Amino acid sequence: MVKNKRAVGLRRANDPPLLILTSLAGGPKHGYALAQDITGFTGVQLSPGALYGAIARLEERGLIEALPEVDRRRPYRITAAGSAELGEVMRDMRRVVDVGTHRLGLLQGRLA
Amino acid sequence: MGRRSVGHVDDLRWYPRSWRATYGDDLVMYLRDRYGDGPLPVSARLSIRRSGTVERLRCGGIIGNSVDPDMRVRGASLLVLCAWGMFIVAGAAFAKYTEHWPLATPSVDHRLPAVAMGAVQAAGLTGALVLVTAGLVVLPALVQLVRSDGWRPLWIVTRPMVVAVTVAGVAGVAIVVWSTHLGPSPSAPFATRVGGVIAGLVVVGAMVVCVGTVVALVYRLHLSHRVTRVLGILALAMAAALVVIFAGTLLWWISTAVHAPWFFGSLDPRSPGSPAPLAMIVLGLLMLSGLVVAGIGTVRIAATLDRPGAAPSPAPAT
Repeated sequence: MVKNKRAVGLRRANDPPLLILTSLAGGPKHGYALAQDITGFTGVQLSPGALYGAIARLEERGLIEALPEVDRRRPYRITAAGSAELGEVMRDMRRVVDVGTHRLGLLQGRLA
Repeated sequence: MGRRSVGHVDDLRWYPRSWRATYGDDLVMYLRDRYGDGPLPVSARLSIRRSGTVERLRCGGIIGNSVDPDMRVRGASLLVLCAWGMFIVAGAAFAKYTEHWPLATPSVDHRLPAVAMGAVQAAGLTGALVLVTAGLVVLPALVQLVRSDGWRPLWIVTRPMVVAVTVAGVAGVAIVVWSTHLGPSPSAPFATRVGGVIAGLVVVGAMVVCVGTVVALVYRLHLSHRVTRVLGILALAMAAALVVIFAGTLLWWISTAVHAPWFFGSLDPRSPGSPAPLAMIVLGLLMLSGLVVAGIGTVRIAATLDRPGAAPSPAPAT
């Protein structure tokens, strides 16, 4: 599974595929809406090449799927496999965040 | 679509046709939504070019595993072909550079460099035979392509190669004729050297176009699973020949630097010159780069051929 995550680019919190899956977890979006949403919750502006390269990889691996065009724009939605993959990554990240927060809290407690 | 949209469509030409068919319109709409009718910023253009190149490499089976195994073998075999092209350029320059080495090397020290040079020549001949065999292997597919699509698509693909070879031939003859009419003026040696460099660059350019044309042509062929496997095995043989050429060149260089260092200088035994002249360093680096490219192709071919159950691939629309 780790290899699979690496292959699709789900290792770091700012990897475009992870940002796209996170955005689509809130509902289907087309390319521009996706980019706007990602900028809204991360401040990151994905370049056109990075955004559509990641969309292509995710769709190829069945983690997202395209919906029928609306006004010549194709919305994408997260699939069940994509939700499962995102959930697993979130749990991994949560463990790191929990440990980091806990240890930082202890450190701050000692310093205070 | 307005005039601006047409411009955005032009930007997408960096992507392979099959990718554009799926995502092209959507990406154009995204670009319009994000950048409006204004020109694309340089960063966006660069991003599209980089991404398009990556998609082309993926589509051609050169990177990633998103295409079927046969396409990966085909792409990796073409990588080895590109490496062969680099070795042709380096080998031709090496042959010219070293043509008088027996005169500069003492007879008692001939054996090792002679063995090295013999290995280089034998490996070069083997590589050429492998290339001819590969050409014969894909010939039926080429005939089939001509029968199904006619000569026109083939001509469109091969036209740059025909033009490049013609230009290189004419330029080569013109430079040779010009250099023979220079006469004994003081500037003649310098002019001849400049002419040689120009001729070399023209030939290198023609070689790049030829290899690019062959790559484009092979991607258009309908190759069976069996033929693709044979091509992969031939590419492995060619990569082995490249290793021998590189090793032979290195051995010749070292033995000559030890036994006849003046060869790299003025041919005067009293002035040894540098054992690492610029020409040999450049040739060595070019060969080494080719070896790296061939190595990547070899690893991909070996990894793919090792897996059972590779399915026949459809012709890609790059």
